[in-house]
Amino acid sequence: MKAVALSRLRFLASARSTFPGLPLLALLPILTAGFLARGQSPVPPSISVVNLIPASLSGESNQDSEPFLAIQNQNPQVMVASAFTPNPFSMTGNAPVYVSQDSGKTWVLNAITPVQRMTCDITHAMATGENHPRGDLHAGTLACASGIILDESESNDVSLSATMNVQSTRGNVDQPFVRALGVASGDRIYVGLNDFNIANGRTATIDVSVDGGATYKSIPIETRKTAGQDGPSVRPAVANDGTVYAAYFGWRKFDGKTATSDIVVVRDDAAATGANPFQVLKDPSDKLPGRIVAKRVSIPWSNAPAMGQERIGSTLSIAVDPNHSGTVYVSWADKGSKGDIYTLHVRSSTDRGVTWSKTDLPGTTIHNATNVALAVANNGVVGLLYQQLAGGRWVTHLMQSHDGFNTARDFVLATVPADQPVGQFLPYLGDYDYLLSVSNEFRGVFCANNTPDFANFPQGVTYQRAADFNAKTLHDGSGNPVPISIDPFYFSVPVIP
Amino acid sequence: MKISALFFKAILAGAGWWLALCGCTNAAAPQAIDRAALTTKSSIIFSGTVSQLAATSFPDVPKSPQTIVVKVDSVAKKPAAVSLKKGDSVTVEVKDASGFQEGTRATFYTDGWIFGSGVAVKELGHELGAAAEPVRVGSAGNPAAPGQDRISDQELLDRMKASDFVVVGRVTDVRKWNAPKPKSGAPLRVTEHDPDWREAVVEVQSVLKGGKVKGNKVIVRFPNRDDVAWVNSPRFAKNQRGIFCLNRDQSTGAPTTTMGGHEVNAYTCLGHGDALPISEEARVRSLLKNQ
Repeated sequence: MKAVALSRLRFLASARSTFPGLPLLALLPILTAGFLARGQSPVPPSISVVNLIPASLSGESNQDSEPFLAIQNQNPQVMVASAFTPNPFSMTGNAPVYVSQDSGKTWVLNAITPVQRMTCDITHAMATGENHPRGDLHAGTLACASGIILDESESNDVSLSATMNVQSTRGNVDQPFVRALGVASGDRIYVGLNDFNIANGRTATIDVSVDGGATYKSIPIETRKTAGQDGPSVRPAVANDGTVYAAYFGWRKFDGKTATSDIVVVRDDAAATGANPFQVLKDPSDKLPGRIVAKRVSIPWSNAPAMGQERIGSTLSIAVDPNHSGTVYVSWADKGSKGDIYTLHVRSSTDRGVTWSKTDLPGTTIHNATNVALAVANNGVVGLLYQQLAGGRWVTHLMQSHDGFNTARDFVLATVPADQPVGQFLPYLGDYDYLLSVSNEFRGVFCANNTPDFANFPQGVTYQRAADFNAKTLHDGSGNPVPISIDPFYFSVPVIP
Repeated sequence: MKISALFFKAILAGAGWWLALCGCTNAAAPQAIDRAALTTKSSIIFSGTVSQLAATSFPDVPKSPQTIVVKVDSVAKKPAAVSLKKGDSVTVEVKDASGFQEGTRATFYTDGWIFGSGVAVKELGHELGAAAEPVRVGSAGNPAAPGQDRISDQELLDRMKASDFVVVGRVTDVRKWNAPKPKSGAPLRVTEHDPDWREAVVEVQSVLKGGKVKGNKVIVRFPNRDDVAWVNSPRFAKNQRGIFCLNRDQSTGAPTTTMGGHEVNAYTCLGHGDALPISEEARVRSLLKNQ
């Protein structure tokens, strides 16, 4: 049974909760006026949440955790998503990605990555510089069969079955995180990663390609002494004018359980094409490149379940206003206050990262939460995606604000039991989820318990796989029951005016 | 004219005979194909009737002259996760579309391709006319437990070919093993993928592939971490018996270890299907014998 909720009504209901003093009908002109004022569609897009598992894989019960998303901005009905989804028909076949060609309404699984069976890290971005309407997908994948190998690869057409073309391979790195910008001369690709090949322990690195991936140059961005390495998350963000930021955890001390870390942001104003990229943003304390947004925070490190069934230790996100590259947001999690396991913080800068808010933006000190992802829409509205453990449930939130979180709207996308299903491996939901903006939508992906229960998805949900929402059970398409598991979910939420 | 007509009819009859003969040859394709090898290689085998040529059964599958739509009559083999049953329409990318017409019945030996609202597969081989004999219905109607997918014969054979040793043995001890500390000044290497290595001492009872094992014991390193990087790696427990595909350790950076005061090679056993239960011994021996 397919489940399609009355999403628009729920969007309005959600908006109503933000303005409780106004009757629902009174909100309609406000919302409509807002959309029309920006020349957008007179009919605002509705909220949608879609389970990515295709109908023909209804029998699967894998832990499809750690989602990611890429959108073809010139052709935004084309998207690629990924998760720890194994090849469904072969132990030695290629690891797959999910492909949508209808703006996320339906998804297919296509085994095109260069990694055998299943990646152990994958992120990707689609740039538009080379005029491929279903490409160019640039991916960073880790293969972990024996040792950890990074492939930086490309597909010109994600609808085909051709294996992605590997352009660069190297070992001994962690957590590749891909962003890309298409320009007339070719795609510019930025891969944040933790590079253990750097002998001095300053491991935070951006691999940069300015020729569509034909060549990559590794650029260390840490300039200070470390505890022997930096944290795993190294996150680039690219504005339309070519300004590139990157955030990383500068580990200053590490005792096996806690990292004492600086939250550092670097910037480059020339798309990292110059001789010494990422040097322009210096910290006033030591004049070294890399502005310290928060100094010596304590970050718990646990490679075992620590928050529900999830591990913690490295959640970080940075986003730049695509059209005003001076406005940038960064978010991370640390130990927070007493009694908290993991607390999110959001800070911002409106002067190209030179100065930062000294405290968290209003309402963005969020307890017991992880998997933060930020994005900024074309109208300057910032989106904040995160997953919070509350009352024994994983609750996935998308907050939006047009004024630096002085006011904000919160959309709960999912609220699912945290103790079911039992984890098959770590990460349980993922070491990250993801959020992007395109046109007047925030689009993103998160992972959650896949019990088909409308109560778990307050904005509504559509399942492609066979599901009985009355009985709240999954089946394999032939009527046989299938155990619940972790599935990736895609969502689209209209950007607030 | 009459003679010419007769002559023309004779030519047509001859051509028909040849066509029929070709058809027979095609129909007799099982003699030309290695059914056992195809069955081993194929992840999805089904019989069906061609319903459309140069078409696809669901959106997002690239249509080409090589794609045909087949209505499924019976399913002989498929992965547990795949939803495929009688009456479904499947897109098959065939090697040579000229061998098929609408209404053609055949058994298709295939590999998966694209999974959406339906299934698309790529042909590895086919047998015209014949209905697929039950091969091994891969848990159809009985989804496999996560991570419990049985390694296919072909994949197991490939895995054994890539192994330095294939042994039947028993684990006599399991212990924590710390990789040597990096040289002073070298970076830490703390990642979420840390393997948390263990060493298993395996008493070798017989060697199925590889040379003689000195002292009849080998040290096998394996990850104990629940991280995704190692989700398919076998774990070892004391007194466990099984068949183990071993490779010299190229993962930890310390390729040797000591045993009984002697330096010996260390081995790893990291891939899915590298450690099989002893109940698989006959299958393994048969595969090695027939390779």
